[in-house]
Amino acid sequence: MNILITGAASNLARALASHLGDNHQIRLTDIVHVDTDFEFVRSDLGHDESTNELVRGMDSIIHLAELPSDYTDDSLDSDNLTIDFLTRCTYNLLWAAVEENVKKAIYASTLKLFEKYDDDLTVNENWRPLPSTDPYVLGKHLGEFTCKEFARTAQIQITCLRYGQIVKVDDVRDKPYDPTWIEIRDLVHAFECALGEKTPGLNRDWSVFHIEADAPDADYPPARRARGTIGFDPQYRFRE
Amino acid sequence: MNVLILGGTGNLGPFVVKALEPYHTLRVTDVNPSEDTAHEFRCVDMASMTQVVEAAEGMDAIVNCSVLREHRKIAFDVNTLGSYHMMSAAVAHGIKRVINTGPHAILTGPTYDNIDFMLTEDIPPHSGADLVGGDNPYSISKSLGQEICKVFTENHDVHVMCLLFCGLKNPEHPRFFPGRDVTPFVVSVRDAAEACRLGLEVDLKDLPSKNEVFYISTDIPHGKFSNAKAKRILGFAPNDKFEVVWHKVEDN
Repeated sequence: MNILITGAASNLARALASHLGDNHQIRLTDIVHVDTDFEFVRSDLGHDESTNELVRGMDSIIHLAELPSDYTDDSLDSDNLTIDFLTRCTYNLLWAAVEENVKKAIYASTLKLFEKYDDDLTVNENWRPLPSTDPYVLGKHLGEFTCKEFARTAQIQITCLRYGQIVKVDDVRDKPYDPTWIEIRDLVHAFECALGEKTPGLNRDWSVFHIEADAPDADYPPARRARGTIGFDPQYRFRE
Repeated sequence: MNVLILGGTGNLGPFVVKALEPYHTLRVTDVNPSEDTAHEFRCVDMASMTQVVEAAEGMDAIVNCSVLREHRKIAFDVNTLGSYHMMSAAVAHGIKRVINTGPHAILTGPTYDNIDFMLTEDIPPHSGADLVGGDNPYSISKSLGQEICKVFTENHDVHVMCLLFCGLKNPEHPRFFPGRDVTPFVVSVRDAAEACRLGLEVDLKDLPSKNEVFYISTDIPHGKFSNAKAKRILGFAPNDKFEVVWHKVEDN
């Protein structure tokens, strides 16, 4: 499978490329140049032919929807950049994907959309997102909004993965437990599961999964839909 | 009331200015300069957070008539980022009342419009990714803007009334013909501007929520969209009728 991964400067993109590269052809892209052994194309995800060229020949796109943390632009402040990138650039990417007949995209979102719910609630994919006006959270929500409009008109199948803070288990061993942690290897596994999502007989052009760390003794098992639908099987837990 | 008008020199803006000027003190803004000196005027680019926030200082309400349709970058700058800037400005200055405007397709795109009837305003937005003809982010970029408005109302003490139009007609220069029918949602620019005035008058306590959407259409018999909510809550009473358009013309 030919897979385009955006947000190439991120640790997650590197981990995804490294893992998926064993069985797939990987093309990485970002708004800044990134040194990598994989094919790399720098792109602004703009409104021009270069975005079509970027996605041409791809079977799937993993849109991490993340700007490099130190990225700046003289024309926009950081809040504007985030909103603009997650709306307009997501639109441009998906528009080009539809034009180039790419069949599937995976959009990376955040569980911060549910931070306003009390901790004791069984929040899952059936609960309405409650975004704050923090530009990152609002932007991720607007990115989902954009994806849904493409999926709704049956132009491309889109899977949305929502997750919390990406960590490596060894890096947080001595830190206070945070229930939003997700081990980067489990997250890579979740993306791999989403790439293979098949829903025969169902017109499922939009699906959403919460990707959470394993918690075997929890009253309400985390990531239940992802486990049951796409075979997500997290291996890392942060609390016995 | 001190009212900021964004996009004041476009298709709708001048009619809104005319409807509001007997009752309010206006600060008219647009990205394009204006020759009109009857009101305070500032050149404001909706893509600039700084310009929009500065323009909102001292205002009691904002009416957003700004819109850009076809150009993909500028459409998102004006329709999406512009809404983010407008709502940020409202919060920054404690402005409690915002009137947003847009096409009906920001709520009822093709997955509703091509299929359903008796459509109301209180439904999830389905703008679709494109307007008829393709590669036109008008509806989705405006829909994202309205979603931004909604999220701000859920997080801050600010009310948004979103007035949706379609087929805006200038009765003095009508571009329709008797007996040819129209889109099943049509309103004159005068009545649309009057709806903006009504949005400034309504008691915020009478609104069902802090984010309310209204179809602003003349009375129309097609049964696809209803203006009942605008009549009930805003007191909207369209003056310009278009019956001649949907009645067959008898042969002489």
